[in-house]
Amino acid sequence: MSNGMWAEKYRPQTLNDMVNQTEIVSRLKNFVKDKNLPHLLFVGPAGTGKTTSILALARDLYGSGYRNYILELNASDERGINVIREKVKNFARTAAIASVVPFKILIMDEADSLTTAAQHALRRTMEIYTRTCRFCLIGNYSENIIEPIQSRCSVFRFGPLGEDHLRGYVNNIAEHENITIVPEGMDALYQASEGDLRKVTNLLQAATATQGGIVDDIAVYGILGRVSPGKVRDMINLGLKGEFLEAREVLRSLLIDEGLAADDVIRIIYSEILRLNIPEKQKVYLSDAVGVTDYRLTQGARAEIQLSALIAKLALSGEAMNG
Amino acid sequence: MSETSQPWTSRYSPKTIKDVAGNERSIRQLRDWIKSWDTGTPKQKAVFLYGPPGIGKTCSVVAIANELGLDLLEVNASDFRTKKKLEALIGRSIMQRITITGKKRLILFDEMEGVSGVQDRGGIAAIAKIIKTSRVPIVMIAASIGEAWEDKFRSLVNLSLLIEYDPVPWSEVCQKINIIMADLGIKIDDDVVETLADKCGGDLRSTINDLESISRGKTHVTKSDTEKMGYRDRKDYTPDALMKMFSAKTLKDARSIISKAHINYDTLFDWIYENLPTVLDDPRELSEGLEALSRADIYQTQGKKSQDYRLLKYMFNSMTGGVALARNKSQGTGLLKLVRKTVFKLGYQLKDFQVIEVKDGIQIKPVKYLKNDWRKVNTAFRDIGAEYIRGAGRWQLSYFRPPGLKWRYIKTYHSRRRQRSVAEKVAKLCHIGRNEAVAEVLPLIKVIYKDDKKMGKNLTEWLELDDKEVTWIKKS
Repeated sequence: MSNGMWAEKYRPQTLNDMVNQTEIVSRLKNFVKDKNLPHLLFVGPAGTGKTTSILALARDLYGSGYRNYILELNASDERGINVIREKVKNFARTAAIASVVPFKILIMDEADSLTTAAQHALRRTMEIYTRTCRFCLIGNYSENIIEPIQSRCSVFRFGPLGEDHLRGYVNNIAEHENITIVPEGMDALYQASEGDLRKVTNLLQAATATQGGIVDDIAVYGILGRVSPGKVRDMINLGLKGEFLEAREVLRSLLIDEGLAADDVIRIIYSEILRLNIPEKQKVYLSDAVGVTDYRLTQGARAEIQLSALIAKLALSGEAMNG
Repeated sequence: MSETSQPWTSRYSPKTIKDVAGNERSIRQLRDWIKSWDTGTPKQKAVFLYGPPGIGKTCSVVAIANELGLDLLEVNASDFRTKKKLEALIGRSIMQRITITGKKRLILFDEMEGVSGVQDRGGIAAIAKIIKTSRVPIVMIAASIGEAWEDKFRSLVNLSLLIEYDPVPWSEVCQKINIIMADLGIKIDDDVVETLADKCGGDLRSTINDLESISRGKTHVTKSDTEKMGYRDRKDYTPDALMKMFSAKTLKDARSIISKAHINYDTLFDWIYENLPTVLDDPRELSEGLEALSRADIYQTQGKKSQDYRLLKYMFNSMTGGVALARNKSQGTGLLKLVRKTVFKLGYQLKDFQVIEVKDGIQIKPVKYLKNDWRKVNTAFRDIGAEYIRGAGRWQLSYFRPPGLKWRYIKTYHSRRRQRSVAEKVAKLCHIGRNEAVAEVLPLIKVIYKDDKKMGKNLTEWLELDDKEVTWIKKS
């Protein structure tokens, strides 16, 4: 049993299928009932049901042919606001003729990664096409969305999922896929998931591929060591130990061979550093070092040079810790 | 112009494919592609030749055109500044494979590296349009490489067959020198030939220029003539300049490398970045040096962005003085440390190898016969930048090694293209962004393919991956 990525296979299809985020789901159901909706802004951590909600809403609203009425864009994949505007224009200028619902839905993921200027341009576009198109903007932080957009949208805050929900979700998949997850395996999955249902599902699928029908903590940690965060951790540890050349080699393989975006590398570095078993003061120092690097990257500096300088700072931190 | 007054590089430029030194495979590939037009339009209507300068990219195209009797239309970067100019130049020739005189046409866009990304965007777009509508094979050539290169030409690269050219092998450079000197009836000492070939780093054009400048008007060229040779923009001169820079005690001395290294400051920056960690082996000094370098990087990117060269002086100061003056306690033992680690990683002891210091680096010599391990050891040493010296039975590791980064980008080009197409499919089906697909999902998919063949096959169908994409997942 497999059928593609499980995160998709087990994604709730309709609003009724959604067991989490009950408060939000019931509000969304009212929109479906009215066959009308405002512009939406979904904010919250990854893997808490933002995309699932809007897809389920679309399916409930338009029926099985819902794909014809939605357009999914990812702000961080598109090259600039002009490209986005062009796509939106082409999508939004034709009304949803064959449907009883007179508008289409444009889903813009990672909208909080757009620059302020781009968001202002987007706001204009939203206004122009309001008649024929609703916008559903998705992001992690509402702080990064400009006030004028927030005020034009109905804001939905997706809270982190509770431990029970997450375990229940995983157990449901395990049952369908005939997998036994031993308690240590479940704990490991929960630890690694950071409350992200997509992440935990992908992880479970990979662990199953490795281990067969029984998933334990060794399988889970084994996978984690083989994927990018694991490699970033290796890089950090090499850096702390002062093995700069080796650490730089790992960095190069992440950036070039694996093609990770610098933003992703720095995001992982940041979360790994907070988790390190080092004195709190060192955490503050390193967080600042990461901040400087991140800031410079936003200014267009070259990723490898800046990240190398950060690795060199890790060595100083490592030295300070060992006396 | 009579033949004798021509510069040697054109007088001795190859007339047939056979005459071109090196790159046999690439040239054969190019010729086959051009010939394939005789039986119909191939899948890719253009080729992109790339590689370092002076190794016969243009020469080989001219030689093939000669040999196949083609009508070659050559266009240089300076000609396609604007779309209008380009169209006037190319005109209708792309619509007709055969010329009025009955010859088959071939179009060559040379010196593409001279097309600047911003001003000539119209030019690049115009070329892309030409490729799409062309009924004539089109060859493009660019000498510089790297990530920026790729970005700039992405739209063209996507339309083209990529063919890489390598530096001309040392032995073939020597052979060419001897052929030329024999033709001219000038005697040249063997050690001079070898020095010239050593210096050029596979750039045959510059070798012939050097040869001409030291041999004109002579009947016998000896060692003393090579000593007068001037510097050229070549990696072999850069290590000396770097050595001086890293031992500089004043900002002024450190900065003088900018004019002495005779390479552009982008390349110099890459050299410094590559070698700084082995020179600055003290962690504090390494961090200080890298911090200076990363500031230089900021000045550079900001300066380029705003076209404001006012910031360049700070960049020069930081990348030279900032790095050099960070050095105080550092002993420059980074290279030895690297060797030591490599030896341990191979499962050997330090006593199994002898380390000999030479002028510009260190040599590593195995104490006893390596037997079947030789290949493994050789790979490991090559990975850290060492070269095997034939006959001497040892590896040499230079104190200053050329930056490998740009080549790494270009060498992994196809692999990264594959990754992109897989990531796009994953992103679409999983409703996530491409970056997230790369960072979060692709690594897990690779694990799945490795550990569970059946689930992998299922994913292949689900994602509708083609054979090349599947091969990429399994290989990486």
